Amino acid sequence: MRRNNKKKLRVSLWRRWMDHGRALSGLVMTFFASAFLLLFLKDFAWQGLALGMAVPLMIWLTTRVIPRILPADSLTLSLTSFLCALGVLVLYDTNPHYAYHQALYYGVGLVAMEICIALVRTIRSWRGIAWLLAGLSLAVLALPLIIGREINGANNWIEIGRFSLQPSELVKLSLLVVLSYFMSRRSLIPWLAFAVGCLGILMLQKDLGTALLYYGTALMLYWTSTGNPGLTAVGLAGGAGAAVLGYRMFAHVKKRVAIWRNPWADYDNAGYQIVQGLMAIASGGLLGVGLGLGSPKAIPVYHTDFIFAVICEQFGLIFGLLVLAMYVALIWRGATTAMAARTSFHGLLAMGATIMLGLQTFVIIGGVIKLIPLTGVTMPFVSYGGSSLLSSMCLIGLIQGVESLNESDIAEDTYLAELSLQQRGGGVR
Amino acid sequence: MKQQRARFKIAAVCLFGLFFLLALYGGYSVVRYGNRWFATNKNRRVAAQKENVIAGDILDRTGRVLATTDASGARVYQSSAAARRAVVHVLGDGEGQVSNGVEDFQASYLYGFQASFPELVSALLSGESRRGDTVQLTLSASLCEKAVEVFMRLQPGKHGAVIVLNAKTGELLCEVSLPGFDPDHITDETKNDSGQPFWNRAVQALYPPGSTFKTVTAASAIENIAGVEDHIFYCTAEPLYFDEHAISDYQGEKHGSIHLQEAFAESCNKTFASIAVNLGQTVLQRTAESFGFNENFLFRDLVVENSRFPRSSSEWELAACGFGQSSIVATPMHMCLVAAAVANRGVMMEPRLLRAVTAPGGKTRITFSSQIYRTAMSGEIAARLKEYMRAVVTSGTGKRAAVSGLRVCGKTGTADSTQNGKPIAYGWFTGFADADQLPLAVCVVVENIGSKASGGSTAAPIASELLAWCAQHRNELVD
Repeated sequence: MRRNNKKKLRVSLWRRWMDHGRALSGLVMTFFASAFLLLFLKDFAWQGLALGMAVPLMIWLTTRVIPRILPADSLTLSLTSFLCALGVLVLYDTNPHYAYHQALYYGVGLVAMEICIALVRTIRSWRGIAWLLAGLSLAVLALPLIIGREINGANNWIEIGRFSLQPSELVKLSLLVVLSYFMSRRSLIPWLAFAVGCLGILMLQKDLGTALLYYGTALMLYWTSTGNPGLTAVGLAGGAGAAVLGYRMFAHVKKRVAIWRNPWADYDNAGYQIVQGLMAIASGGLLGVGLGLGSPKAIPVYHTDFIFAVICEQFGLIFGLLVLAMYVALIWRGATTAMAARTSFHGLLAMGATIMLGLQTFVIIGGVIKLIPLTGVTMPFVSYGGSSLLSSMCLIGLIQGVESLNESDIAEDTYLAELSLQQRGGGVR
Repeated sequence: MKQQRARFKIAAVCLFGLFFLLALYGGYSVVRYGNRWFATNKNRRVAAQKENVIAGDILDRTGRVLATTDASGARVYQSSAAARRAVVHVLGDGEGQVSNGVEDFQASYLYGFQASFPELVSALLSGESRRGDTVQLTLSASLCEKAVEVFMRLQPGKHGAVIVLNAKTGELLCEVSLPGFDPDHITDETKNDSGQPFWNRAVQALYPPGSTFKTVTAASAIENIAGVEDHIFYCTAEPLYFDEHAISDYQGEKHGSIHLQEAFAESCNKTFASIAVNLGQTVLQRTAESFGFNENFLFRDLVVENSRFPRSSSEWELAACGFGQSSIVATPMHMCLVAAAVANRGVMMEPRLLRAVTAPGGKTRITFSSQIYRTAMSGEIAARLKEYMRAVVTSGTGKRAAVSGLRVCGKTGTADSTQNGKPIAYGWFTGFADADQLPLAVCVVVENIGSKASGGSTAAPIASELLAWCAQHRNELVD
């Protein structure tokens, strides 16, 4: 009887989750099917048609099937899949080769996300894992210093056979786990040692964008967990001091800031990238030049850092703002999940992942539209790149893992409450 | 835990704030700077569009065709070389040597980027090449030609710039930069010319404004120093000393006991130096900024270099600011706007270059609309300054700007600077015709006038002859 009741409850909860994103995911699927069809009509390449079927299928899997296997918030899944598919679409239009890879990474990312959900659901004791991850992360993060090669001025890649990957992308996940664990235990010393260690290695690699991201996430996590304004201010001042020191010491930081202040001054060399990005955004205007039109390939690295400029050129500023709104919705869902978490650790984990995603999006889009100096990080879900897509999907996986724990807890609570009500009712009768 | 939840909420709100900032800044900058980002000759999109779209015509205010596209798709300018040279800096050239000419800056109209969806479809169905919009300028090509002719006759071989605009509406009637060049014959010699013919001096050159800046200092004095107009200033042959730096007058003149109006008419440096020190950095800077100094000029049709009013570190520098030296710089366009503001009761109109844009089918896309740029000063101060500037022409340094039958007001300037280590002097005249029927403001700059000449002897006669011509051709210039 108890088992039956629980099952019924669970079914009703599924229905509730499904309804949230059902209309949205249908819309998303139609959008991408028609977009790929449009691109197919341009050159009649079968790949366009194939992607036009595969991408909506993948969205359907993400938003309709996966939530049946493992519980997750379908609004979050709809938004995530929209952003991933948008990346594949824009990449297919500019360089189909990238799009096939990206679609593949998207599939792998889905599996990785599921694994993350399952891990968060099943692991009960994080103590050993946190210590293990802490050591492992520092080692992996330091690897490019020994065997890495330099891409775009930052030495943060390693190559294994044919594959190259960015350890700092994968360490993002363990960073969150380790920081959240130590913080929930109030072990400040190992927490600080780990955070400073990671930041130090990133500085040595001259990977300023990622360093900024790690720093911002760590600081915000520290504050949300302790609420200590004094030490947070010290951390903030330390970051500002490091920024000033970096500006004084490193020529390339100075150059970045100079470009940010006036990219047109050295149009042909240093400012070229950002000026091309701004031109692309300006040519899009409010409504865009249209999918498959414009010259987005005029922008260097249009497929990673500057993909937001490509989106704005083709779909327009209004659509660009809509994409921003999607990230805002993701943050909102992430924060809601964190607030509903039962343990401090799970709350911090979900919030940390949310902060990480939010900050990363802000840093890259802010750089592209010249609000802040440009630092090379990717736009989560959209930018081309396996490591990046994988880590972003895993971040969503962490959040969804906490979400599913919350839902099970709520279901259990409701069940227990009803049970006690029944028993009491029986007593009266 | 409960507190932690509350802080989660705050953290989320902080992130929302960041995204709000992104949206706000993105929207603002695209609306504000979008065309400046887009319409440059560095944009490959424009170059690509040139392959598919026949560029639209450019007309002057009377309908004279300044540029068109022939059957073979080549860009054709006017047939007379003198006419081509007179408007080349406004129009720009095919090679993109001149920055922000109409050919580049109005690319979104000329190359049909503004075409609506039905227009695109009908062009597609007709099967013919699409045409861009026709752009009509407020410019008067004949006035430009006249300006070049007068300048080259009175100051042969000299470089400089001439601006004429309508003070009431902001319509730009004449914008000329010398030396010019012929867009149909750009040779290596043109490119290596030390006179920099591609440089549009009217809007890109930042010159020290010299005594023309006294208009601003005088406005500040009248506004901020009570009774300054009744005060008597003593100007002797002895130089004035500020921080052990001597300030003396043009060619060591002495003006004796004078009122502010006479000091303005005679362009007495010592009087304005002491006024600047009396006003102080903050007050003088505030007035200068209300006239548009240190402002980021973002006019709809024109790209104008920003003028600068410095923060002085010593009393001597501040004193020099009073008569437009120190490190104050301004474009001829900006000083013309200052004179126009005096003519227009203190209201500075936005300078405009587009009169109308017409789609290939004959549909009007936009028409000229004048807009107030800023209120530089009150109407009363403007009326006082008008008297001062009239005195310059009737009895002061600008007598040679006078035109019989026209109330010409103005201010001369002789600015000293160094170029490649050698001293160089610039002759200025900036003024206006005080007439309801002919509300024109004018600014003339002549470079390298030599140590014996002044703005009153070089620039003022050019302005005079141009204003006289304008009075005769009023119907072409004013609606």
